[in-house]
Amino acid sequence: MSIRLQLLIVALTTLVLPWAGCQYARELETALRDSQEQSLLASAGTIANALSAQPQRVFPDPEESVKFSPEQGDLYVYPLRNQPLLDGYQEDWDIAASPTELPSTTRYAARAQAGSTERYLYLYVEVDDRHFDPEPANPNPEHDRFDRLDITFRTPDGALKTYFFGTAAPGLIAAQTLVKAQQPPLPDPTAPAAASPPAAASAPAAASPQTGASPGVAAPPEPDRVVEEPRIQAYWLQTSAGYRVEARIPLSFLRTRLWIQAHDGRGSGTAGASAAQEPDGGRLYFTTAGLGDLLGTFVRDGTRATVVDANELKLGTAGNLSANLAGQSEDAAEVWYRRFMTVDTSKFPFYSPSADRLTGNSVQAALAGNAHAEWVRAARGREPLLTAAAPIMVNGRTRGAVFLEQAGDQLLALRDRAVTRLFDLTLLATAAAVALMFGLATWISLRIGRLRTAADSAVGKDGRIRLEMPESASADEIGALSRGFERLLGRLNEHAQYLRTLGGKLSHELRTPLTIVRSSLDNLESEGLGDDQRRYVTRAREGASRLQSILSALGAAARVEESIKQAERVPVDLRDLLSSAVAGYRDGFPQVQFALDLPPMSCPIRGAPDLIVQLLDKLIENAVDFCPPGGTITVRLGLVEGCYVLEVLNDGPPIPEALLGRLFESLFEQREGRDDKPHFGLGLYIVRLVAEFHGGTAVAANRPDGSGAVFSVTLALI
Amino acid sequence: MRCAASALGYDLPMKKQIAIVEDEPALRENYAAALARHGYSVKTYSNRRTAMQAFQLHLPDLAIIDISLEEEAEGGFDLCRDLRALSAELPIIFLTARDSELDAVSGLRLGADDFLTKDVSLPHLAARVAALFRRIDALKRPENAAEIVRRGALTIDGEKMQTTWNGGPVALSLTEFWIVHALAKNPGHVKNRQQLMDAANVVLDDNTITSHIKRVRRKFQQVEPSFDAIQTVYGMGYRWVE
Repeated sequence: MSIRLQLLIVALTTLVLPWAGCQYARELETALRDSQEQSLLASAGTIANALSAQPQRVFPDPEESVKFSPEQGDLYVYPLRNQPLLDGYQEDWDIAASPTELPSTTRYAARAQAGSTERYLYLYVEVDDRHFDPEPANPNPEHDRFDRLDITFRTPDGALKTYFFGTAAPGLIAAQTLVKAQQPPLPDPTAPAAASPPAAASAPAAASPQTGASPGVAAPPEPDRVVEEPRIQAYWLQTSAGYRVEARIPLSFLRTRLWIQAHDGRGSGTAGASAAQEPDGGRLYFTTAGLGDLLGTFVRDGTRATVVDANELKLGTAGNLSANLAGQSEDAAEVWYRRFMTVDTSKFPFYSPSADRLTGNSVQAALAGNAHAEWVRAARGREPLLTAAAPIMVNGRTRGAVFLEQAGDQLLALRDRAVTRLFDLTLLATAAAVALMFGLATWISLRIGRLRTAADSAVGKDGRIRLEMPESASADEIGALSRGFERLLGRLNEHAQYLRTLGGKLSHELRTPLTIVRSSLDNLESEGLGDDQRRYVTRAREGASRLQSILSALGAAARVEESIKQAERVPVDLRDLLSSAVAGYRDGFPQVQFALDLPPMSCPIRGAPDLIVQLLDKLIENAVDFCPPGGTITVRLGLVEGCYVLEVLNDGPPIPEALLGRLFESLFEQREGRDDKPHFGLGLYIVRLVAEFHGGTAVAANRPDGSGAVFSVTLALI
Repeated sequence: MRCAASALGYDLPMKKQIAIVEDEPALRENYAAALARHGYSVKTYSNRRTAMQAFQLHLPDLAIIDISLEEEAEGGFDLCRDLRALSAELPIIFLTARDSELDAVSGLRLGADDFLTKDVSLPHLAARVAALFRRIDALKRPENAAEIVRRGALTIDGEKMQTTWNGGPVALSLTEFWIVHALAKNPGHVKNRQQLMDAANVVLDDNTITSHIKRVRRKFQQVEPSFDAIQTVYGMGYRWVE
């Protein structure tokens, strides 16, 4: 693994900073959640206490607390913010709840919903009745069969009043009521039968504005008659599934009891409840007027307060959840970071509020008498909500609860702001650290690479040592390493120098003792020796003579280098030189054949002819040593790429591959020659020196077919 | 034989006196013994100071000097210079283990008559010494025509070991003289390096022969700038062309 990669990995460990930041943010969030929980719980308690003190402003009926039962036809009256249009559509009520099923013993199904503004009670009823039975002219609900919707309510003075809706054609209609001829004070609408059709002006166009002079009891002469109540208006809408009636009743007409019952014109059934069937049912659960304003004084933005009664039905609401402290749109980065730091909210229970009631552990706990706070999720993927509920005690009994909701994203916004900053900074720091380390690593490996390259090439092919290393001026460890290399190379160079001069020194130092031996032998011989003695002296002289030739070979390298230094360059024709030299070799080495391959033109060169001849001598001597008797030695001259190439090819054994590169080293001798002469490999070393003097190189190779060796020398033209 | 030689030496009234300045005692004694055997009176010195003291009192007939003398690495050169200052004619031979081109050139330039390496054998040394004496003696005697070789402008007096070119003297050292002599004796014949070494009674390597030839050419060119009578036959040797 390269240094660069290693440092990069080390640099990446700085990513632990943002990670630690995340951990910190998580802890922070947990702590913030706890404290938010405590504070919201405290708020809920405070509000509950305040409301306990004034129950009449909280509960529509401070004394009564009856169980809410839709089976008995009880209806929750949603507070309506706007006056809805009477058009048969409930959508403009702006309530996120669908109508509740009316109790029915038959297959006949209907759903109803109630809402109120300050002055009116609105009713919306859907009846699943595919077959429209129109109202006949002059209908009598007791006799005539037509699709009819009965409304019964208790007036403020305690009387029961029944109205019915029916129409010949869909549209805006008014409620009608049956006025009996005699005066039985309680008309019973529970047994509707066919009746003689009394006239009912239910033309929509004429309905709404004329609220004339016909309320109450009008004309006694006719026995049973149907009277319109223009103040109770409705819109009859026919749909593919049945019909819908959206009705409006002035609040002043009624109190808290109202029964709805739908009748099928064909008699297939009814839906809903009548006052006779369910005398205790049909309760209307209103919200408390003014409670919202009262609560509004307690809550801040971002918190929603709701008061529920013991039935968990909402009595009033104030505040707004959506007030987001952060306000600004979240950028992608924040969302991205959040993944790493959000506290796990998947265990929070789901919370699905309905428009009319509150559910959940908090409310249940509060209604049981205990304040309770809880984190809930509104939906998957949404931010959690904090809920807290506290009981409202009236006269020692739990009459209801205050329920507070607060969005968790306030917290999140707070945390995000801190953490995003932390994240940005640490990421920036990490990026900077990584970039810096990467740069540093690149720089260091570049320098080490330079050093390595220099170290690789410090000892040249010719064995010369280059002493200068790069980076040696730097003060750091690499500089020290470089200087260490330089010192090492210096010592190596000294050693190499010593080895190079060792031969010369040795030959010089040994020459004197050898001369002593030889001169002593000379003197001994002059003394007149016997035959035996002379034989030994002769042997000693032979030994000394061999010793001397070894010594002069040892010293030769130094002498050759010196004479090359002093050599002069003169213009020479290589072609003439080669042909005359080879003529000489033919005489000198009759045991082998010489072939000469020269270019046709003259080959001028500025060089030292003596040295070139010496070079040639060495190459030929070498070739002759290895050429079998009768073999051929070829001397070839060519011109390649601006250099003369002089090749000497000889028959004979190939050179071992391992030796090829080292043949031209000083005092290198591996090849066994044919004669007894000492071989110190100086010959080829001299070849190299001469070639280098002429700006060329010397290379040894084997013939491709292994039939011999090729020594080639290049000489620069100059 | 030793008795005979010494007896002969002592009997002769005009025995040639040779001074050997050499710091290696064994070698010094060997040389002295060999030369004494050839009938010379030999005085040996081991360093420059004692030698110079003696020379100031009495000059020898010939001096054989080593270059490095005891602690003086180049004491022989200094001694040669001083000796030459005392006498212009005194033959001086350098006999040294140092064989570099530079040493030979310096030695000869300081006025030495020959420069021999210690590879030379005692008989060769004796021959050199005898030759030098012969040269000096010959200078004092009339010319002997039999010993004279003439090749065009070149005249070689084998007796006096003198070389002239168009009558002008060419100052060759003994080794150089014999090389020229060997070449000029048979003009046109190629002499290889070994033959030239034999002629000069020296053991030299090829390079030294080459540099001797180079020096000889230069010395002739000082007298005759267009001199090119010594021709290189590449791969074989040299020959004299007229």
